[in-house]
Amino acid sequence: MHQQNIMKQQTAIVTGASEGLGKSFAIELAGRGINLILVSLPASGLPELASFIRKNFEVRVDVIETDLTRAESYPEIFDYLQQRQITVHLLINNAGLGNWAWFGDKSTAFYKTQIELNVVTPVLLTRLFLAQTDVTVTSYILNVGSLGGLFIVPKKQVYGATKSFIRYFTRCLQLELYGTNVKISLLSPGGINTKPELLVMNSSLKGISKATIMEPGQVARIAIDGLLKGKKEIVPGIANRLLVLLNSVLPSYIKDGIIRRRLNTIINA
Amino acid sequence: MEAAEGNILYRQSLERAMQGCRQVYHTAALAKMWCRNANDYHETNVTGTRNVLEIAGHTGVEKMVYTSTCGVWGPTVKHPMTEADPRIAGFPIAYERTKYLAELEVNNFVKQGMQVVTVNPSRLYGRGPITDSNTVGKMVSGYLRGRWRFIPGNGQQVANYAFLDDVVAGHIAAMDKGIPGERYILGGEDISFNSFFDTLQQVSGRQLGMMHIPLKAIEIYSRMQWLKTKLTGLPPVFLPEFAERLKYDQKYSSDKAIAQLNYRITPFADGLRKTVVHIKSIMDAKAGGANIQQQEWESQRQEIRIIS
Repeated sequence: MHQQNIMKQQTAIVTGASEGLGKSFAIELAGRGINLILVSLPASGLPELASFIRKNFEVRVDVIETDLTRAESYPEIFDYLQQRQITVHLLINNAGLGNWAWFGDKSTAFYKTQIELNVVTPVLLTRLFLAQTDVTVTSYILNVGSLGGLFIVPKKQVYGATKSFIRYFTRCLQLELYGTNVKISLLSPGGINTKPELLVMNSSLKGISKATIMEPGQVARIAIDGLLKGKKEIVPGIANRLLVLLNSVLPSYIKDGIIRRRLNTIINA
Repeated sequence: MEAAEGNILYRQSLERAMQGCRQVYHTAALAKMWCRNANDYHETNVTGTRNVLEIAGHTGVEKMVYTSTCGVWGPTVKHPMTEADPRIAGFPIAYERTKYLAELEVNNFVKQGMQVVTVNPSRLYGRGPITDSNTVGKMVSGYLRGRWRFIPGNGQQVANYAFLDDVVAGHIAAMDKGIPGERYILGGEDISFNSFFDTLQQVSGRQLGMMHIPLKAIEIYSRMQWLKTKLTGLPPVFLPEFAERLKYDQKYSSDKAIAQLNYRITPFADGLRKTVVHIKSIMDAKAGGANIQQQEWESQRQEIRIIS
């Protein structure tokens, strides 16, 4: 009973909650009775999502509409929580900006935003989150990486590099936080059917490449299960786990072949 | 009234058909569970819709009603979905995915000032042809023939059933009173599989012993069907993405259309009674060897209907 009361009071921050995987995290956590602090850009449909969750689940939902590339946004989030005396137990560092373009095809402003959102934001939010945790209960951090942080994929140069950063950062914090009441997991998904533009592309993939694509709801469920179990790295899907296994045993020319094949399918589509 | 033969993928035929029209109802879509070429969904539902919007834009059409689907919301949690609610699941079903993308196309044209009202019917039933897209018609005719004897899972899964006559009236009301850029759910009653077949039994007078099939068994069966289709190219009976959907309710609220369009919902038992009478007459006609009407309907599936 006591345990259940504590569970009831749990609160999670989800960044990038208005669409894609972030939205699935919000639904998944709400389904487990965890209160939510949803963070996303203004005019991205966050109030609608929040009212839907309040109506359909018995959890408290707070909405913070902000641009996470603004340096002031990080303290603002935690000030907001402090004013309302909310302690957060879970941080889902989900917000991120992907790309699928040759390096020369995107502007310098784009890469700056991408690095800020994919690297600076999770690092600083993690720093501020750790400063407010209740050390008597377990706290959880989920950093959304990517299998792209493991494989070198053309047209994902900056994105993949930011996810490699997240991999190192998470692994290192796992060592630093060993023996504390904080569990930190790295989520390394393959492709996920989220945005409509991606949907068109993903539905033209075939074979192994297609088998690695998953539904966001499925990925969110596996990720939260893994996080609460304290897994160090979560790779959703058998096909993706197979890829990770193969990565450690296969010679690099075969790996490059697989990636090139996937690249060709999309270019020829 | 004048019929114009055409195809939404042939722009010239659209131009011919829309000449002199002030209003367009864009109802054409590919709504089957499966088709051989997966790109057909995108072609018909997204490219086709963009074609209709573009041509309507420069032939002087004043207002358009676009027929979307409640499938753009898909599964629901506890309360019926409203127009303001977000989609909570991904888009593994090609029909839902491409209808969602088509709504984005519509939004783009609305932003440029075009007068388009979107309507979102739920699972349709009524006095229409029994095609691959008419799942309720197939269930009912299967039941009446004594061939459909199963209920998925515990039968408590709820879906929303919209009566065809209501939805047609809703379209016309949307043209008349609908606000461009807005969406209106045109649904009916939320009914579980169990009460669907209870009602069907009552209104048809035919009593069949129904078997509940566990969802796990349906899932395994659907995977085998998927594999069969992959290996042989033969059409599947059922697919995994639809088996997954059987775990969820699909409840939708028509309150906005009721308030703003005077939409009205025919009680499910009344609608189903009329549907059964209609399907029995098709079956009788078929038994008598006259299959003409059915064939005619089939050939009209890709056709566009335009009212001026």
